[in-house]
Parts: sequence; structure tokens; C-alpha cells
Amino acid sequence: MCGLDFPTDPNVLVGLSRADDAGVYKISDDLALIQTVDFFTPVVDDPYWFGQIAAANALSDVYAMGGEPKTAMNLVSFPLKRMDLSVLREVIQGGIDKVREAGVVLLGGHSVEDDELKYGLSVTGFIHPNRILTKQGLNVGDRLVLTKPLGTGIVNTAIKGNLASGEITRKVTAIMAALNRTAATVMREYPVHACTDITGFGLIGHLAEMMQGTGLGLKIILEKLPIIDVALGFAAMGMVPGGTHKNRSFRAHMVDMDEGVDPAMQDIIFDPQTSGGLCIAVAPTSAEGLVDHLQSEGVEHAAIIGEVVDYPAGIIQVV
Amino acid sequence: MNKIDARGLSCPAPVLETKAAVENRHPRHLEVLVDNEPARQNVVRFLESQGYRTHVDQEGALYTVVGTGGDSVPGPKPVETASGDAGKKIMVMVAADRMGSGDDLLGAKLMINFIKTLKEMGDELWRLVFVNSGVKLTIDGAGTLEDLKGLEEGGLTLLVCGTCLDHFDLLEKKRVGQTTNMLDIVTAMQLADKVINI
Repeated sequence: MCGLDFPTDPNVLVGLSRADDAGVYKISDDLALIQTVDFFTPVVDDPYWFGQIAAANALSDVYAMGGEPKTAMNLVSFPLKRMDLSVLREVIQGGIDKVREAGVVLLGGHSVEDDELKYGLSVTGFIHPNRILTKQGLNVGDRLVLTKPLGTGIVNTAIKGNLASGEITRKVTAIMAALNRTAATVMREYPVHACTDITGFGLIGHLAEMMQGTGLGLKIILEKLPIIDVALGFAAMGMVPGGTHKNRSFRAHMVDMDEGVDPAMQDIIFDPQTSGGLCIAVAPTSAEGLVDHLQSEGVEHAAIIGEVVDYPAGIIQVV
Repeated sequence: MNKIDARGLSCPAPVLETKAAVENRHPRHLEVLVDNEPARQNVVRFLESQGYRTHVDQEGALYTVVGTGGDSVPGPKPVETASGDAGKKIMVMVAADRMGSGDDLLGAKLMINFIKTLKEMGDELWRLVFVNSGVKLTIDGAGTLEDLKGLEEGGLTLLVCGTCLDHFDLLEKKRVGQTTNMLDIVTAMQLADKVINI
């Protein structure tokens, strides 16, 4: 959006000048508002679960900033002429149930007629102005902790191709619909320096955003990555969404990876995620404690996947 | 001649069209036209995963992926190793968590021993299918788990009835094998040269 002149205000703590997961506006010295909006076309066939996933995804941006979501509004596009209204009802029921699980109230919403179904929410949350977590703030030595397994883009492609069993579909749906709430709550007790959620740009894309402008580099350890177990097999069969390749060509120049790495594994790190986990940069001595704590609270896939290094700068080494 | 024109399509459309053609027509030879590198890569991977040999002809930005010698069985083959090409294909169907009736304790011991000894069938053992209480042999803490894992690592395909796991509320506890449905089981029975029921 270069060249556009946006209004400014001294109370804007996080705004358009450095794109983050959500915007933050200071209300008083001890309260700031976090605002975000996200919506998309269905990622699963079941409308109820689509509603849940869309809501978990929209709420995630507030969690990634370290905040607590409070209110939400529905955004709906619906093809009235070719889809039964009961479908919309299911979608919104999914959204309501997820929002309720998050302890958030739904205040209203807006719907328009459209050629295809789209659903999402705008979400508002609270945070203390001194406790905002952005993508910026990596320190050398920080460990990177990822809270959900990778591979949702690949597995969703396999589902589209009728290659996945019902159990796999249920499993990946549950992963996408899981709130990042527990992860966000637990990380508040640890010396966390930066955080983001892993979504459409894939692991590498979001790591690159965290690294940019820091003068530091990252080292990712492939064997530590939490991965949906069937995703590697599906990737090996070519069940790879277009976004994976776009992500790779956009960021490949920042990645230092041995050419011999299994191509399926290479796809995993660029795979666009739907409602992915948080990537948390935490002080090294606290990393294992954070992961143990996350796992004991039910964030079972949480793992230390790498660390922040001072050399080579601007490069993500994948080993 | 089976030709698929997937020009102008981005991933995963070309590979999904290829998959549909392979499943519907089981061609011995097919050609897929694509106009981008990711699509080329994915179509090659898919065809090779289905037992085709592939080569690619490139003309500028246009790729023709040629697949020959497909030996695909009907139905999808998610994440499984090809096996049993040589000799007979034996399918063993395990429908209980113990062997025989009379004494349950003895039956459970016999079952552990049976699973341990199964590998003696060698390469002819092609599918091991678990239904009803047989699925309990595949879960956490089962005395048969390590041997089953060994069989799976050796390339054997283990199929575990999803309805049965669900019935016993064990979906989360399964530690070995692919969860499957009745259609896969029936298809496997049809393809097998011999089905042994336990």
C-alpha cells in the first residue's frame, strides 16, 4: 500500500507503518485496544467446522499480540441464490461456539450477498501497553517455540483430492479449529521477546517477517518441527497447494538449506497454514520450561524448533 | 492416448486432474500438459507414487509429463508402501483381540505369539487388517504393539477399522497402522489371493 497517506495519531502503538498481526491503540497508560479482522473462503466442507476455524483464525491475531480478545463482529458473504440458508446458520453457529470458548462476546456483524461463501470476524481485545508482543524484538540466543504442527495446507489439498481418511480430516480440522488461547495465556508467564502466528505465508514466511530489520539470523532444526504425520507422505505424492510454491519463490533467497533435504520436507516449511500456531521467541533459559508448561496445558505439539543467531544475518539456516 | 491439458491451472488443480484420470481410467500411458514448474513437479511426484515411470519433455515454458506402466490398484493409496508384487498376496484379518475361544488369558497370549510369528510368512504377507476388538491390538500398551510396529516398518500395510476404534473410543490411542473404512477392507479382500481370518 505504498504511496497512500494514512492518518496518524500518537496513540497508535502498532499501526500500518510496520505491519503486524493486529493494530494496537492506546486508551490510557494501562490499557490499549487490539483490533484485527480476517475472513476467507471455506477451507473444509463442513460449514460448522468452517465457522469454528474462521473464528479461531480471526482470534489468533489478538493472541499473537499477547492480548486477550473481548468482543467480535461477524463478517459474512453469502450466495443466497444457490446455497441454503441453513448452511449459513451452521457456519455462524461454529463461529459462535468458538467465540464463546474464547470468552468473547459477539456484538453483531454484517452480511452481503456474494458469489461465494466467505466468513470471518473482526475482533477487539485488550492489552497492557507495556506488554504488547509484536513480530519485532528478537534477541540473539532466543529459542523459537512453535505451538501447532505444520502441514495443514498439504493435508487440506489431499482432502480435496479424496486421499485422506475421515480420521485424518477430523484430525487436521481439530488442529485448525484449536484456539491459540492457551498458548497465549501460558507465554505471558515467560520472558517472551516476540511472537506471531503462522498462517498463509508458511513457517519460513512468518519467520522472515520476524527476522527482517533485526540484523540477526535464524537457525531452524528440521527434525524438531512438529508436523502432521501424514503431511510428508501427501507432499511426496504431489498434494501441494499453489501457495507453497509462491511462498518458496518469494523467500527462497533468504533460506540456506542443503539441496539434499527431502523435497516433501521442503514443502512443509513453506506450506501455507490455516489458523496455524504461535511462533514464540523466548529467552533461552526459559524455553524448555515454556514448552513443558504448554504441553502440560494441552498444547501437545509445542516444540523448540530453532534459535536466533547473530551470524549470518538475514538468513534462515535450515539444518 | 490419455492426454490431460492442465495448462493455465495452478496447483493443486493439475495433480488433482491427473489423480482423477488415473483413478477413472487406469491408463498404462498418459500425458499431462502443464505450464509451470510446481505443477510439473507435483504431477511427476503423484504419478511416481502411483507406480508410473515418468519423463518430462520441455518446450519453453510448456512441460509434457509422460507417465508409463501404471500399475495402480483401484482406489486411493494414501501414504503406503508398494509391496507384494511378487508371489501371492495374503491378507490376514484379525477380528478379535485374542486367539480362539475357551480361555481368554490363553487367547491373549496366543495372539501375541501369533503376531510375533506372522513375519514368517515373508513377502507374501500383504495386508494385516484389524476389525472389531482386534483394533485393541494396535493401541497404546498393547502387548502386540512393538511387533506390529516392526511389521509396519518392514513395509507391511496395516489397516485398522475406524468405526471399530470409534466404537471402543480408541481413535486417539491407536499407535500403528492406517485407519481405514469398510470399502478399503472389501477392496483389499478382492485384491488378495488369500484371506486368512483369525
